[in-house]
Amino acid sequence: MAEGQHSLRYIERDAVMHRIYPLVKLAWVFMVAAGLFLYKTPLSGAINFVILLLLTVFLGKIPLREILSSSKFILGLGLILMFFHLIADPGNVVYQLGPLKVTDTGLIQGPIFFFRLSVVVLASFVLIWTTDTRDLMVSLAKAGIPYRFAFAVFLALRFLPLVQQEVDAVRSAHAIRGRASKSSLGHRIKLWQRYMFTVLVNGLRKAEAAAAALECRAFGSSPTRTYVKDVHFHAVDLVLLIVTAAIITVLVLRERTGFLF
Amino acid sequence: MTETNIIAELRNVSYTHWNHQEPTLKNVTLQLQRGTLSVLVGPGGSGKSTLCDLLNGRIPKLLGGQLTGEVIIDGLDTAKVEVKELTKRVGSVSQDPETMFATLYVEDEIAFGPENLLVDADEIRLTVEELLDVTQLRPQRRNLVWHLSGGQVQKLGLATALAMKPSLIILDEPTANLDPIATLSVYDMVLKLREQGMTILLVIRELDEFLSCADQVLLLQEGTLLTSGTPQEVLKSHGEAMFTSLGVWLPETTEIGLTLRNRHNIQMRDIPITVPETIALLQDNHLLDQPLVLPVREAQPATVQPELLVEAKNLSFRYAEGTHALKDVSFNIHAGELLAIVGRNGAGKSTLAKLLVGLLKPQAGSLTLFDKPAAQWKVEDLANHIALVFQNPEHQFLTDKVWDEIDYSLLARNVTDLEVRKETIQESLTRLGLEAVVDKHPFSLSAGMKRRLGVATMLVCRPRILLVDEPTYGQDKQMTQTLMHFMEEIRAEGIAVVMITHDMRLVQEYAQRVIVMSEGQLLFDGQPQGLFNQDEILQAANLRKTVLHDLVSELTARGVLISGEVRTTSDLLTALTTREEVQNG
Repeated sequence: MAEGQHSLRYIERDAVMHRIYPLVKLAWVFMVAAGLFLYKTPLSGAINFVILLLLTVFLGKIPLREILSSSKFILGLGLILMFFHLIADPGNVVYQLGPLKVTDTGLIQGPIFFFRLSVVVLASFVLIWTTDTRDLMVSLAKAGIPYRFAFAVFLALRFLPLVQQEVDAVRSAHAIRGRASKSSLGHRIKLWQRYMFTVLVNGLRKAEAAAAALECRAFGSSPTRTYVKDVHFHAVDLVLLIVTAAIITVLVLRERTGFLF
Repeated sequence: MTETNIIAELRNVSYTHWNHQEPTLKNVTLQLQRGTLSVLVGPGGSGKSTLCDLLNGRIPKLLGGQLTGEVIIDGLDTAKVEVKELTKRVGSVSQDPETMFATLYVEDEIAFGPENLLVDADEIRLTVEELLDVTQLRPQRRNLVWHLSGGQVQKLGLATALAMKPSLIILDEPTANLDPIATLSVYDMVLKLREQGMTILLVIRELDEFLSCADQVLLLQEGTLLTSGTPQEVLKSHGEAMFTSLGVWLPETTEIGLTLRNRHNIQMRDIPITVPETIALLQDNHLLDQPLVLPVREAQPATVQPELLVEAKNLSFRYAEGTHALKDVSFNIHAGELLAIVGRNGAGKSTLAKLLVGLLKPQAGSLTLFDKPAAQWKVEDLANHIALVFQNPEHQFLTDKVWDEIDYSLLARNVTDLEVRKETIQESLTRLGLEAVVDKHPFSLSAGMKRRLGVATMLVCRPRILLVDEPTYGQDKQMTQTLMHFMEEIRAEGIAVVMITHDMRLVQEYAQRVIVMSEGQLLFDGQPQGLFNQDEILQAANLRKTVLHDLVSELTARGVLISGEVRTTSDLLTALTTREEVQNG
């Protein structure tokens, strides 16, 4: 089976991060993201990046290989972004190679953007790697969000592989029909319109069938429901948030007041 | 039988969908007794799913429309109670349960329904354990729901419905796309449930397995309940119409019995369903006293050795994620033959098809397509020589009109002359019976027509091989037969037809050669008759002999001499009846 082979998905592991209450982890992702927009130097971002990487490997028990294979695309994008900042930001030229001018602002802004992107993405990946989507849904519902809404997110994830299958099937089916127009670009555009149409029509049909099935299974018939696999909040989970807040505070204070180093 | 034994009842029910002019159901009255198995049959579009929606309460509360008459479930009028009350009483399993799954794991899926009904968590846990045993899904309890076989998907669908502790279960074509062995295991489970007192309504296209054990057969045509009663009652009154005009598959034995009764005036108390019943009938009527002589088939014209189109030698293929889909497979395809490729899901059939049309390239071994190695072919060029009709023809459609769809194929192979195109399109429309729908959107056609349009778009490319994936998928008997007759025709014109299927009856009746795949290996390559004698191969590939084959073997075992090859029921009938006429005359 082609689906489920990518490494960006939840896998049961006996690790600290897996045991933390899903909602706490969600809050943690937001906290990490907020911190990144307070930093003004690349060093803070770099420190944050290293800490996060250590946390992923040791507390999340995610092998380095998996981290790399999932994030190589986003790291590449980050590097391109950094490169553009290096050469495009206005400021004093500190280095010149032919027509490319590297400025002092670019030297600071480039790495900042690189770390912003990679840390936010890696933090969200940690959430995905260590959290069963069902548990996240349950914890959202317990926090007062109507379970019908919390569940919508979950269902979207559930149907993603089906959509992927559909796209693959349509693509191969189209390939063997050959090409009817001389223009290669025109043909491409036409095919894309068709992908969208076919996948959408079949998607709607599937959605309709799924909605009918949910109705038949009493989904949404009461404002609440029971959970066979419940998730429980433990006060100790908050340590993750406290430590993260402390790290962010120290890094921000260091930048603003210049203490420590 | 007392009134309390009725679980569900329709009283003079007519129903019109909100966006339709004509009623979908017309004055239907029926009853389902507690602890019985009822089978609902009828051609595509006869109102079967509407009837199911009436019983599970989606009509009228959720789907609207105009309903007259009464639908009573467990003493409740469905028009007057909340849908929630009905979901507790009626469990539905849709045709494709995969789309109805709401969670990721097998055990979560079973718990989902009762969780919504606010059942206590401990109680649900007990139910889940119990149902894992009933459905034999315990080893898969932590599996992702999309990592299940076709049979397991159906069983999980059943488990999710049973978890709600309903009084009635509705199953919509649970075995439509299963291989023969998975089909049997689903049947066994349904029968076991009835033994435990469950009421079951089964919507189905093929009556084969269930005919002998159903308590009630309901026959629907164009929204009218033609008849209802025990299988024998229904067979006697409408049996012949079922397998001729209504497109319902019946066991070969029953077809033989019905034909003998209705066309040859042979008296019988009951229509035979099983092989022993049929043999008893034939013996009682002295039809087996003399050897059966089949008319000699027209010998194939002894032409030169048919042209070799495809040659595969020691072909292997492994997907990037590790699945070893083909292992050392060798075979040939010749012009003008009808070849069937059979095997369970995941046996390597689709991989083989993709290699043939160039969507995949061979990794080890050699594959020669039309005297050129497969690796040197471009998919688009190959499309002019070998065409694939997909299981879901919608995936192949690229335009908004039936006419344009066929035109596209012609343009793709550089036919620019307007007159030629017009003529070719007109011809293929006529040939496949699509004239009436030229201006319609391909997506709006009926299932049978979509299939035929799929074939039309492929045939105008004048391929030398036509590959058809599951010809029976989503089709009733008549549609399948129309399609198969057409395949026979084009085969006679010298095109090689390759069908991928697990319908053994189709293989027996139409295929000249059959290739059996199992776990990536080729287990058999030869005539269908030869395959039916190889029990080990059949078992390894999850295949089953046809009822007709069983009947013929049983006859032979009893010393009846049969000369010639019996491929269809009419072969056997001709042999039985010509002699009878001789006797009478």
